[in-house]
Amino acid sequence: MIMNITAKKLTKSIAAGLLSSVLVFQGCGDYFDVGNNPNLVTEPSLNSLMASVTHRAGMNAYRYGNAVANYVQYIASPSQGSSSDIYEITNLSTTWSQAYYGMSDAHDMIVGAEESGADLHAGIGKLLTAYQLSLVADSWGTAPYTEAFNKVETFSPVYDSPEQLYASIGQLIDEAIAALNSTDATMPLDPALDVIHGGDVGAWIKTAYGLKARHLNKISKKSSYDPQAVLTALDNAYMSANDDMTMGVFSGNNPWAQIALDNLGALLGGWLSTNLVNHLNGETYGVIDPRVGKITDLTVNNDYVGTPNGGGNQGPLANTVHDQCYISTNCPLTSEVSPIYIMTYAELKFVEAEAALRAGLRSRAYVAYLAGIQATMNLLEVASGDAQNYIEEPSVSVGELGLTLNHIFKEKYVATYLNFEAWNDARRHDYGYQGFQMPEGAVLPTFIRRIAIPATEIVNNSANIPEQESLDTPLWWDMP
Amino acid sequence: MRGIELKKLGGLMMALLWLLPAGYAQERTINGRVTDQQGQPLEGVTVTVQNEGGQTVSDDNGSYRITASKGNVLVFSLIGMASQEIAIGDRTTIDITLIAASETLDEVAVTAFGIKREERSLGYTAQAVTAEQLTVNQQPNVVNALQGKAAGIQIRNTGGAPGQGAKIQIRGINSLDPDRDNSPLFVIDGVIMDNSTSTQGESASIRGMSNRAVDINPNDIESMNILRGGAATALYGLRGSNGVVVITTKQGNAGDIRINYQGAVGIDEVNKFPKLQDVYTQGWNNIYDTNEFWPAFGPTVEEARAIDPTHPARLYNYLEDAYETGYQFKNTLSASGGSDRITFYSSLSQFKQQGIMPFTDFKNIQARLNTKVNVSDKFTISTNMNVANSGGDRGNAGRYNEQLAYWVPRWDVTHYQKEDGTMYMGFPGLSTNPIYVAKTNRFFDDVLRFIGNASLNYNPYEWLGFTYTFGVDTYRDNRQGTALGFRGLEDEIIVEDNGGEGATGRGFYNVYDTKYRTFNSTFLVNLSHQFTTDFGGSLRLGNELYDRSIYRSATEGWDLSVWNWFNLGNANQLDVATSREEYRLMGTFADLTLNFKDYLYLNATLRNDITSSLLKPNNSFYYPSASISYVMSDHLQLPAAISHARLRLSYAQIGKDALPYATSLGYTSYSALPTGITGFTRGALLGNPDLRPEFTNTFEAGLVLNMFDSRLRFDGNYYRSDSRDQILSAPISTTTGFSTASINVGDMRNAGIEITLGGTPVRNANFTWDTEFNFSANRNKVLSISGDRTDQIPVASEFGYLSSTVEMRVIPGKSYGTLYGRTYRRYYTAEEIAAGVDKSLELDEGRPLLIGDNGFPILAPAADVKQLGSVFPKWIGGWYNNFRYKDLTVSMLIDGQFGQSYYNQMDNFLAAFGMAEYTLNRNDHIVFEGVLADGSPNTQQVWLGQGYDEVTDRNYGNGYYRDYYRGNSEFFVQKASWVKLRSVSVNYKLPSSWFGTRFIKNASVGLTGNNLLVITDYNGYDPENSTTNSSSNAEGFAGMTYPALRSYLFTLNVGF
Repeated sequence: MIMNITAKKLTKSIAAGLLSSVLVFQGCGDYFDVGNNPNLVTEPSLNSLMASVTHRAGMNAYRYGNAVANYVQYIASPSQGSSSDIYEITNLSTTWSQAYYGMSDAHDMIVGAEESGADLHAGIGKLLTAYQLSLVADSWGTAPYTEAFNKVETFSPVYDSPEQLYASIGQLIDEAIAALNSTDATMPLDPALDVIHGGDVGAWIKTAYGLKARHLNKISKKSSYDPQAVLTALDNAYMSANDDMTMGVFSGNNPWAQIALDNLGALLGGWLSTNLVNHLNGETYGVIDPRVGKITDLTVNNDYVGTPNGGGNQGPLANTVHDQCYISTNCPLTSEVSPIYIMTYAELKFVEAEAALRAGLRSRAYVAYLAGIQATMNLLEVASGDAQNYIEEPSVSVGELGLTLNHIFKEKYVATYLNFEAWNDARRHDYGYQGFQMPEGAVLPTFIRRIAIPATEIVNNSANIPEQESLDTPLWWDMP
Repeated sequence: MRGIELKKLGGLMMALLWLLPAGYAQERTINGRVTDQQGQPLEGVTVTVQNEGGQTVSDDNGSYRITASKGNVLVFSLIGMASQEIAIGDRTTIDITLIAASETLDEVAVTAFGIKREERSLGYTAQAVTAEQLTVNQQPNVVNALQGKAAGIQIRNTGGAPGQGAKIQIRGINSLDPDRDNSPLFVIDGVIMDNSTSTQGESASIRGMSNRAVDINPNDIESMNILRGGAATALYGLRGSNGVVVITTKQGNAGDIRINYQGAVGIDEVNKFPKLQDVYTQGWNNIYDTNEFWPAFGPTVEEARAIDPTHPARLYNYLEDAYETGYQFKNTLSASGGSDRITFYSSLSQFKQQGIMPFTDFKNIQARLNTKVNVSDKFTISTNMNVANSGGDRGNAGRYNEQLAYWVPRWDVTHYQKEDGTMYMGFPGLSTNPIYVAKTNRFFDDVLRFIGNASLNYNPYEWLGFTYTFGVDTYRDNRQGTALGFRGLEDEIIVEDNGGEGATGRGFYNVYDTKYRTFNSTFLVNLSHQFTTDFGGSLRLGNELYDRSIYRSATEGWDLSVWNWFNLGNANQLDVATSREEYRLMGTFADLTLNFKDYLYLNATLRNDITSSLLKPNNSFYYPSASISYVMSDHLQLPAAISHARLRLSYAQIGKDALPYATSLGYTSYSALPTGITGFTRGALLGNPDLRPEFTNTFEAGLVLNMFDSRLRFDGNYYRSDSRDQILSAPISTTTGFSTASINVGDMRNAGIEITLGGTPVRNANFTWDTEFNFSANRNKVLSISGDRTDQIPVASEFGYLSSTVEMRVIPGKSYGTLYGRTYRRYYTAEEIAAGVDKSLELDEGRPLLIGDNGFPILAPAADVKQLGSVFPKWIGGWYNNFRYKDLTVSMLIDGQFGQSYYNQMDNFLAAFGMAEYTLNRNDHIVFEGVLADGSPNTQQVWLGQGYDEVTDRNYGNGYYRDYYRGNSEFFVQKASWVKLRSVSVNYKLPSSWFGTRFIKNASVGLTGNNLLVITDYNGYDPENSTTNSSSNAEGFAGMTYPALRSYLFTLNVGF
């Protein structure tokens, strides 16, 4: 067929076609206008940001809790001399970055909310920024905030001093409380997309006061510490366990449960520390705490045995034989469907006990102390008779006059199981728990007090990072 | 589906074959004599019947005798002489005079856009690799086939998996950005062809996916031309900034239909294993312990057997056990021919390879049809079409090797499953069986690709021509990941690899799809005019459009209800994602060539690019090039020994745009939420709307010298290129809420030399020896990475025990890619420490080791890493030899790469678990050479073993290998220079008298051995391998790779 067409005709039509195609491409400016990434959303709704912001905060509660679980000796590695057990420098770049990703989304939500008067969104954004910034500050001491989240156009934000961070966190909480109390918010919360409090503004306000109490109580070693202010904040915080700050939406399982399940599948992890198990099984205190059977399961030898930090599997059986205790999916805190507990009524009761005791309000302190134990029992679903028996033990029911900080810290240690707050307490209490040992083969002469600067910052923000101090150097609030 | 499509295509081709005029076979004997210009007889001239395969060689009188038909064409060729093609017609005697190659004017090179230009007129290099060179070692991947055969090209075979990708770079790394492609542009018959390596899919980046050039059959290629420098690639614009490989496929010739069959079968084996110790068995502290995981810190085998009679007499070498013998076969059937009006070339090929790692394979079916229609003397239409269906079962060699490194050698790794098909474990706590994982955790790809073009060529006058080519390169790439789920049988072991989030070991089924499409349109106008007898010129004007669209979707389903039913409806959890990418680029260019007296040529080009990846007004930019070729030998009187001498000089500027969407900023879907809750989160990249194009200035000078009647040939180049203001997606502090930012930052330089030296030491009637040596050295230097950030870019890292993790970084003042790792501390005096000398990032290997009070070297703090090596070779070379004795041809290729260092993670693991052969000294007492903190020499004797030692009355904890050795990256960043006997191939042309009938026209058999010998100090698998995929710029990692192959192939070639 082609051959029948004369060359001339063909040429003409081709030339015309080519010319027009070239002209079309040249003339039509829009043709090259495909530079905007179609896989990105430029203006997400505030509620869709809320879903990420609340979920990220919950996951960071887990990540930071997990990062320090060996330091507070809830957990010990099944391998001998594992770096997190023995205080070697570890690289927590992901943990670090995740907090900043969470705060950056919160920042964007705050900016959008403030532009449109969505005060509730702004309040939650600020509160969760305060929460995550305190996770960072309590781990590393100094960290970027004033130049972070791309607030300022820089690729390498400067580090704020610990005092500055502390002040910023306090201010964020106060601003959050003000915003959450707003009566003319332009946008309601979407219960489905607030994965922490399901859109309950009242619960958020209580959480804000709870975080404020934690925040004020953290500086217990400082002369500026004001226990009365802590108590005032607590008056507006949780009234019952129904108010607990939790996040229970997962793609998959609760991450703690996942550790337990992986451990069963020979991906070893989540072994309970000797310190924690002895704290509960009567070894340290002579009283068997009924919570031990809720936190973990009996071993094949029908006992509760932990693993010494730094010591690894104690044998003589293989490390896959259940002769030491693990995180359990039977525990209400770590089952497949458990939420992550970020802050609980039980924990705040101990904050109250501590602040009251420090303020000399012994009566309030003792009531709060006993309520804290009972709340923890309830949290762990201990049968009321067992709980009662434990509480009535003379070493527990020490009486108003017998109550010391040691008692409060001892009980709070159980209430904050797997929570990052436990490490703040341990340091404020100078690791003064009965029987608390240095890990075997520790590379520091004394207990760990801070986390090493993450590698990602060493490489990408070297101009601003502080000098790396020894990891047993206390943070700002950890000394008078 | 794909079977039917291919069948259809095959049918079409067969129909075309029979439509064409059948040949007229009238055989006759042709005689003649070959002489040179002085009338002297030429001996050793190869006389070939074109496309027929019949061949003879002229004797010492220059006489030859050959059988051919009336319609045949005879080809006379001799190294150093211009080959000639003579149509036989009615003649039976054909005498011919050959002219020395250097004196001919028609030596033609294929340059940009397939423009054929006289080689002598080029002011830059365009090195050609012929079909024969390309296919001599039977490589199924075109990139591998180039290895060692051209100067200036670094090719790295990333491993021996069937279909595994190969990396190619011309003149080194050009972009600082680790995410940018540094491999050259591939152009096939005028169409830009994708050669990316897609790593879409869970774990695909470590499963050795193919680079897409694998879809081209090397047997279809007539020639490959390598355009290396800026001037050579100028017309391709920014797409050619990493060099260009121009592929021209075979075309048919008018005359009889030729049918050719080529078959190859081969077996493959691992060419190099790490060496394992076979003395110490399971346990710890030299104590036998069958309950613990520790593979080899127990007592000797003999001691263990005394305790445990069930212990085998010898330890298993689990590496050798875990790899099998692979095999491969390939069949290619091609047909070509045509009439005055239409010519065609068509081929169909099938390749299959079974890997040496269990459950890995690769299949490739390719079909091609090239046709050319001469509508008139002035007008031709040609079309080229290639269809390929490729893919296979891709193994995760990284995981496989890791699990092998944990293996306890007293257990047989090949005993991997129980009778019910679930995993067998010799004792509870033994490491997961790698073969079981390889069997149950799979990844498959299936690519169907079409590359085609139609080209119209119209030359109305001798001085005016038009060419328009429209090409399409499109494929769909379907991938599936599968893992069997947990069945809940009694004593069944959960396999952690085979699960998803929240469902460890409960199986998964993942589906990934890519749709890829490019249109490529080019329009060229050629004008030429000879102004005077001495002075002429030509002008080309062109427009090129490139339009690419990629759509990807991924559906990952896990937690299977029915453990072995791979259906997304069977997954309890789902995660889905889609993405699309559009990219458009238009280039408009002019190319002017002027020639004076046929010895001086000037070429100048100018190109404008408009790109969609930058925003107005930065999206349109111009850049020029200029080159000169000066044929000295035709201008000046040179010594008689020099038959040809030519100088080349060129300068070019190349602009370059950004990766698509580097200018965009926005929110991406937050994937950690379960289905049903949608959240958005900041994208990882801080896009920059103000990005500008980056520019590279290149300069190149070259010399060509042919001596002694072209029996000695030299071609040398020096080049230098400087890139300024490179566009980078640079890692930034994550406290910004982003992990990377797009910025114009960073300067880099590449400079180097390339030398090709060819010779014909022996040439007579029966025996010819041709040899070609190529050598190149590239020196890369990162001049600066400035801006509001620290001066380094981390590219990639691989884990090492005790913080011996090795990281590849890019830092100014060094060549691209420096490996960093943990070292032993060295001794510095107090004054030196005060002056900060010890803080240098460079490792001063000459210094004595600092020995601690305990008599052992001291591991430096983990954060205090030092530079341990550079990842790119200092020079690379290849040496190709071809010996022809009568009908027997032997080819040999040796190549090497020198000066690079790679991290051997496998060795780190084997040391940590006491399996590396050198750990046999574990119970020795030694004194470490070095000095104590006070500067005095160390004299303390220590034991290398574990636990308590009586001799020195001390407890040594976990022992030297676990407490010290494995934490020192210096031991594992190893010199990875290598020299290989890449291939030896023997080919014998069967005498035509053997074929009684005239049905078979020619036949030959061959034996090829590939990768027969590797010489290297690297103690792992073959150092040429890489744990990173063929699209990655992370070069420094060669530990847990898919082992390289040593192959033996038998080939049969029959022409009908």
